[in-house]
Amino acid sequence: MTLCRLETVIRRWFAVTLMLLAACAAAAPPPSAELPPDSIYQLDIALQDQEGRSFHLAELRGTVYVVSMFYSSCQYACPTTIETVKHTLAQLPESRRGHARALMVSFDPKRDTVPVLERVAQEHGLDPQTWTLARTDEASARKLAAVLGVQYRALPDGDFNHNTRLLLIDRDGRIAGQTERIGKVEPTFVDRLRELAP
Amino acid sequence: MKRIETIRSALALAGLAGLLTIFGGAVRAEEPASSRIAGDFGPPQGEAIHAVLASPPNVPPPIHRSYPAKIIVELEVLEKEMPISEGVTYTFWTFGGTVPGSFIRVRQGDTVEFHLKNNPANKMPHNIDLHGVSGPGGGAASSFTAPGHESRFTFKALNEGVYVYHCATAPVGMHVANGMYGLLLVEPPQGLPAVDHEYYVMQGDFYTTGKYREKGLQPFDMARAIEERPTYVLFNGAEGALTGDRALVAKTNESVRIYVGNGGPNLVSSFHIIGAIFDRVRFEGGSNVQENVQTTLIPAGGAAVVEFRPRVPGSYVLVDHSIFRAFNKGALAILKVDGPENKSIYSGKELDAVYLGDRSQPNLSAVSAAAHAASGGVLTVKEQIEAGKALFQGTCSVCHQPDGAGMEGVFPPLAGSDFLAANPRQAIQILLQGRKGKITVNGKTYDSVMPPMSQLNDDEIANILTYVLNSWGNPGGHIDMDEVRKMRAALAKPAGSASE
Amino acid sequence: MALPSRRALAAACGLAALCVCVPLYAAPYTTVPGGLFRGVLTGNEDPPSPVARFSMRVTPVTNAEYLAFVQRVPRWRRGAVPILFADSDYLRACAGPTELGDAVSPEAPVTGVSWFAARAFCEDEGARLPTWLEWEYVAAADATRTDARSDPAWRARILAWYASSAEANKQRVGGEPNAYGVKDMHGLIWEWVEDFNALLVDADSRVQGDAEKLRFCGAGAITMKDRESYAILMRIALLSSMNAAGSTTTLGFRCARPLPETAP
Repeated sequence: MTLCRLETVIRRWFAVTLMLLAACAAAAPPPSAELPPDSIYQLDIALQDQEGRSFHLAELRGTVYVVSMFYSSCQYACPTTIETVKHTLAQLPESRRGHARALMVSFDPKRDTVPVLERVAQEHGLDPQTWTLARTDEASARKLAAVLGVQYRALPDGDFNHNTRLLLIDRDGRIAGQTERIGKVEPTFVDRLRELAP
Repeated sequence: MKRIETIRSALALAGLAGLLTIFGGAVRAEEPASSRIAGDFGPPQGEAIHAVLASPPNVPPPIHRSYPAKIIVELEVLEKEMPISEGVTYTFWTFGGTVPGSFIRVRQGDTVEFHLKNNPANKMPHNIDLHGVSGPGGGAASSFTAPGHESRFTFKALNEGVYVYHCATAPVGMHVANGMYGLLLVEPPQGLPAVDHEYYVMQGDFYTTGKYREKGLQPFDMARAIEERPTYVLFNGAEGALTGDRALVAKTNESVRIYVGNGGPNLVSSFHIIGAIFDRVRFEGGSNVQENVQTTLIPAGGAAVVEFRPRVPGSYVLVDHSIFRAFNKGALAILKVDGPENKSIYSGKELDAVYLGDRSQPNLSAVSAAAHAASGGVLTVKEQIEAGKALFQGTCSVCHQPDGAGMEGVFPPLAGSDFLAANPRQAIQILLQGRKGKITVNGKTYDSVMPPMSQLNDDEIANILTYVLNSWGNPGGHIDMDEVRKMRAALAKPAGSASE
Repeated sequence: MALPSRRALAAACGLAALCVCVPLYAAPYTTVPGGLFRGVLTGNEDPPSPVARFSMRVTPVTNAEYLAFVQRVPRWRRGAVPILFADSDYLRACAGPTELGDAVSPEAPVTGVSWFAARAFCEDEGARLPTWLEWEYVAAADATRTDARSDPAWRARILAWYASSAEANKQRVGGEPNAYGVKDMHGLIWEWVEDFNALLVDADSRVQGDAEKLRFCGAGAITMKDRESYAILMRIALLSSMNAAGSTTTLGFRCARPLPETAP
């Protein structure tokens, strides 16, 4: 190989590498040093959604989320919570509906398997474009709950004592609003949601 | 004609009635919705006011304001060890560093922004329930605060009156028993009539594992609290809190108003001031007033406002008239009134030692001093004598007289007693077990009954006897606390067992 | 060859150093046998809860141990931790991010640490925080019995600690071991547990049994089986007043490790 040709090959290789690096930098999530210090996306949690897809919590960055926790066998509060979140999101005008999504994480991963999550989604008519029902390991569920202020305790019969909390998470993972009221849409919560999802 | 007149009148009347209805309706329709709730005078006006709180027995000054305002109250919880009696300490949990906690004074209709702080040096979480709040838990649900943190909630004081506040953190009884209570006064919009003195007194019952006046740091006793067997029943959290140089003061013919609360946790108070009649009592702190009252009931978690005018000088003793509490558990406070005598109203002598007991002396600091020295192992005979003297008054002096002279034919003298000199140590046994039957003292025979002084602790017996041995021509010497303790133990052994 | 090579000598020294240093860092754990336990959270009609065999640190984590941890793991130093994981009270008593200072005794239990920080320390040594049940199970013991809870003296001793002022920063770990060989379960500090946010106490603790179904789904908040367990009640009250990033001067922790079941 002549020197000139080698040079061309090297240059081409260099250019391709640069392009690849640039592509990676663009596609990868921003380094965590840039997350605000109170962002929940600093939690390193791996989840699975109702369609079996694995994802990291931090991948949700960039969209406004209404977040809560639940378990599928819950008879009373959890179905009400899901409906409340639905109605809350419906308070956004038609044109902005796609700008906010909902995330419900189970704290009963043993029983809330992917098929169970899928069943719950279908029962409530939850559109996967907007709704993510997810499960994670027990330690991660506990960490997420700690950050969200959700309290839950497993009872011997498999049932749970838990409080109910809806959190409004902004694009960078900060808690922008919260309410413990379910069954009715909380007006101040909706106001904050509208501010965040213009 | 008449019919037309009647019809016209009827029509006129109807028209008038109609007009009135319309106008009446219109007036009602114009009233803002908020004033339909009694006590709500609308939104706060003007600058926010930082509430001036006061430590007992004082209260903040009366409010002179004609509009509802925003009041910012900042109250800090402090857990601290303080004296509960002479030589006895207790770990109190306090609002504002005192028992009872700081007195809060607002006007009806005020919007109160309440900041509850939990000092970082504290161990326990705390919250607050104000009986004057209309809202869940009285604020308790919104104010659960960990040490080093602060909570905040806002309420509108809709009802006027005087209200207890207290901590409501589990276990509630323990938090209250440790002194976490105080009073909130919500003045009516027109204010309260002026008086010469306003004071803040609050009764509470206390439960310790040690006996009444057993020295040292006394822990809380949960079993006694559940059984409602207090060790102390006190005004303002300590024996002597309101006696001696800390007594309440007034002059003759001045008007006195006392906001009296009862933090409990358990006991109801039969509140009475010896020598006074309450001209007016807002019983239960509510809107109704009773007049000419001798003794008023203050429920646990309740309050009352008493007003009276002392007409003659002297010491007026505040008591819980469940009287053993006053004399054997400490429910005793003093209002010292100075001024000219008025023999036409009262010609009797100054309040007897009998009533005041050992509180007739300015205060029992000698007892504290002796306890402190004893705990350091350096108690001197002189300190014992001083402490013993203070305790002698009211306990022994009632029968044996303050000068030890006794009562002829009834109570033997202690002064220059040959009976004592022959065997000073038998006095210990007499105090522990009592004595009955014939004895001869200084040539005279006595055949009385002396009850055992079972309320006295070992150190108290030692100090009292040391005082007696060194007074009125007695031979001197001293008695040690350990001697008393050994004899008490020996006497407790069943009959027939080997004695020391 | 008469002498060992330099390389061999260096390797030997390194190994020796490791043998000396590793035990210094290895915290003492003791095995806690499993059993059935009726804790305060066990419902009246429920059977006692099984507690699996596990191992637990003999004493709470000390200031010295925590200092060594942050020296090795800079992201857990004060000032470096995001506020999501530890708020401004984190390690406040210490003189600096890697410095104890005079006010803090190395052998005293570390306090002023958040739940996330405590978890990180435990994970770092291959452990986790004990669960509330495990903690309560071990705490029920006194010096001679594994369950001393019916003894009023046990309760009174614990309540006496609550009555004293907070001096945790100065008191050394290493008191008398209890029947499990674990020390300092009472009398020094409050301790974090893995499921501190399972303790579901209503902030106004007088509403026991109040039918606020929407608030605490599953039939209410804590139903204290034995209301006389004031000693335990207060621990629950303190833990439920905390949030995960918060800390307080009397709250520390110790770690636990699950153990494989022993063969029958």
